[in-house]
Amino acid sequence: MRSRTAALLTPTRGWGLVSVGAIALSLLAAGMFQQDLVNPDGLPLLLRFFSASIRPDLSPDMLRLTGESSLITLAYAVCGTALSLVFGLVGGLLSSEVWWISVVGDRQRSRTSDLNGISNARPPSQLPTFWLGIRAMLAVPRAIHELIWGLFFVNLWGLDPLTAVLAIAIPFSAIVAKVFSEILDDTPRQSLQALLNSGVPPLSAFCYSLFPQAFLNLLSYAFYRFECSIRSAAVLGIIGAGGLGYQILLSLQSLRYEQLWTFFYALFVLNGIVDFSSAWLRRQLGCASRMDLNLRRTVDRHPGQRHGQGVGVVLLIGIALLIPYCFWYIHPDFSHLWSATTGQRLGEVYRASQPPDWSIVPQLLNLSLATVAMSIMAIALAAIGGLLLAFPAASNLFLPGGLLNPSQEKEANYLPWVGLLLSRAVLLLTRSIPAPIWALVVVFVLFPGILPGAIALGLHNLGILGRLMAEVIENLDQRPLEALKAQGAPASLVFFYGVLPLSLPRFTAYMLYRWEVCMRETVIVGLVGAGGLGRLLMEQLSSFDYQGMVLTLSCFLLLTFAVDWVSASARRSMR
Amino acid sequence: MDVTLFELKQVSHQFGDFQALKGVNLQISSGDRVALVGSSGAGKSTLIRLLNGTLRPTEGEVWALGRNLNQLKPARLRQVQQQIGTVYQQFHLVDNLRVIHNVNAGHLGRWSLFKALLSLLVPLEVKTAKQALTQVGIPEKLYAITRDLSGGQQQRVAIARVLVQNPLAILADEPIASLDPNLSLEVMDLLRDLCQQAGRTLVVSLHDVGFAQSHCDRIIGLQQGAIVFDCSSHEVSSDMLRDLYKGQG
Repeated sequence: MRSRTAALLTPTRGWGLVSVGAIALSLLAAGMFQQDLVNPDGLPLLLRFFSASIRPDLSPDMLRLTGESSLITLAYAVCGTALSLVFGLVGGLLSSEVWWISVVGDRQRSRTSDLNGISNARPPSQLPTFWLGIRAMLAVPRAIHELIWGLFFVNLWGLDPLTAVLAIAIPFSAIVAKVFSEILDDTPRQSLQALLNSGVPPLSAFCYSLFPQAFLNLLSYAFYRFECSIRSAAVLGIIGAGGLGYQILLSLQSLRYEQLWTFFYALFVLNGIVDFSSAWLRRQLGCASRMDLNLRRTVDRHPGQRHGQGVGVVLLIGIALLIPYCFWYIHPDFSHLWSATTGQRLGEVYRASQPPDWSIVPQLLNLSLATVAMSIMAIALAAIGGLLLAFPAASNLFLPGGLLNPSQEKEANYLPWVGLLLSRAVLLLTRSIPAPIWALVVVFVLFPGILPGAIALGLHNLGILGRLMAEVIENLDQRPLEALKAQGAPASLVFFYGVLPLSLPRFTAYMLYRWEVCMRETVIVGLVGAGGLGRLLMEQLSSFDYQGMVLTLSCFLLLTFAVDWVSASARRSMR
Repeated sequence: MDVTLFELKQVSHQFGDFQALKGVNLQISSGDRVALVGSSGAGKSTLIRLLNGTLRPTEGEVWALGRNLNQLKPARLRQVQQQIGTVYQQFHLVDNLRVIHNVNAGHLGRWSLFKALLSLLVPLEVKTAKQALTQVGIPEKLYAITRDLSGGQQQRVAIARVLVQNPLAILADEPIASLDPNLSLEVMDLLRDLCQQAGRTLVVSLHDVGFAQSHCDRIIGLQQGAIVFDCSSHEVSSDMLRDLYKGQG
């Protein structure tokens, strides 16, 4: 119901214009039209690199090393995820609005309509300020990338497995807490209210209402977190924590591309297995989409659908065995956490960081702009590539019997299948390989700077975004599409009048969300010399320049919050 | 049986600009069966939510079981609320839990957290739950998933939960508004019998005046947040009812 005057410039169009402008400015900032960017001398090296892909090193020793490294990477991911889910659940409960309303709600009942939230315009100021404090506290660990945590812990404890596990667990706990609190807040509250009214203490009431109600959504998100953990565990290998990432870096530095591709394929398989089984399990258990990103859920649950029971039990037993095994396999030394030396070193780090080195502020401002430009180019590349690959990768469009497949009879046409497998393979490959490794490959042919960093980040995120988009397409409400097809609309019109308008809002939400992630990940391409704040941060961390690091990190945090805010307001205005 | 269970003293309640109740005075004695009638928006639900402590009045005092609900600390309030069971129009059950857990939720005010968690894994006090379900007529649904039950059966589960809670008073907010006439009769019979047997107090809001006259011994008519009449069922005349619903577009 918008007025006619505002009809021309809808919020969506406004944000579209803003983003086109932002991308153009970013390209300009990267020096796209001015200087030499391509380094033709690197081409032979790039050719050697790609030609090695068809003859990976498959000697027995190599395979054993690959197996061990894969197991280490997997174990880091499992331990990191397990810890982050435990802390995330507690944090999520404590930072959810519904929990505090349940605990202290009766103090203010006269003013609010009731807990059911008929009026969702309840100002948060009525809740205790420490609730806001908890939310703010969780925002900081979330904004700092795993890699920075990892490098900091390396400085603190050296290369103990604990470093890798905590580097994943700390930021992921905060992310899980945020998402869990949102899931809890979005779950209908009537049952909870009914229990609270009959005098049930809040925690028991939660266990008998909101937790079981939200269980599938929580589980679905936990699976997604595990997929993310695997990728993070590979990146953390690069800083020396061991596993596949570490081996890849060694092979790349010693120019042994045949070995490199063996590890690439291992990562490819590991990611493939995890992503595939996570998708399969979610389907079996009847979980809806992995995350909602503030779009209302449209998937309807079919009553009486209960084939998930047996799967649930097997899953429970599997997880119960896997987690202790992984902790035993890497045996992180938790005693570091309470040892006196840790406290001493933390004290030293604090003293070394005082007073902050204010002289770098002008430099920081320049680098901030470069970092934002990098993240914008990265997400633009990822969005375009993801869009192109998501449609052939979705299983419900081009395959025989699909919505956009014109042929009625099942003639032998392999093209859609080839397209599906190929696009899925490209998506899997691009997301399996950590962004810093992509960056190292890109700098074969491009001079270092923010452009190769953006391309590397873009490639990695392309794989993730493409997969998310393909899932959106597969989960679309089929009924309007089938209606279009049934009235004889050609495939192209079904696409433009059905598939695209239905999926674009979700695509946009995912793109904006991945943009936030890209912003955080600019740090990890900084590791290998791509520009921006990330590179400076890495230099300061490795040279123990804590006086500068404090400021760089604060600047990075502010930038991250700003990007999150812009992304959130864009998403809100398009809802 | 003349103990006053609920008392409202000059109670007004306001949602934003909307005056839901104004200046209501009311006493309900132990063992009473009271029907609240009136058109939508007359204040029936608000009154019930004030009685079970969900809402605090904007003005005035709500007393239940001899205590002023406004001044109770959360822990004390919970003790009072354990003696007041509520049945809702939309049942408010957790539909992906088994029936037994929804019924056992009636124990939660007394159970420790540990016992509550344990019971989610291994159902406890199965006998009590089975007995409650037998009373409401669906003992065979003990281990069914709540979502798979029909509306009438779900309302029975909600009543069984209140039975397990074993309160002094049962409040029912439009308990039959989403049920068909046959089921409505069964549920109303059930509510009446359960209260009669154990001498419980019943406060039920209804759209159907017929049920109010047949199943309750006292009827309170509400109009725009104020009490229009408050008398025993047989004293309510058709003129009074016509006036009550008059002028409501």
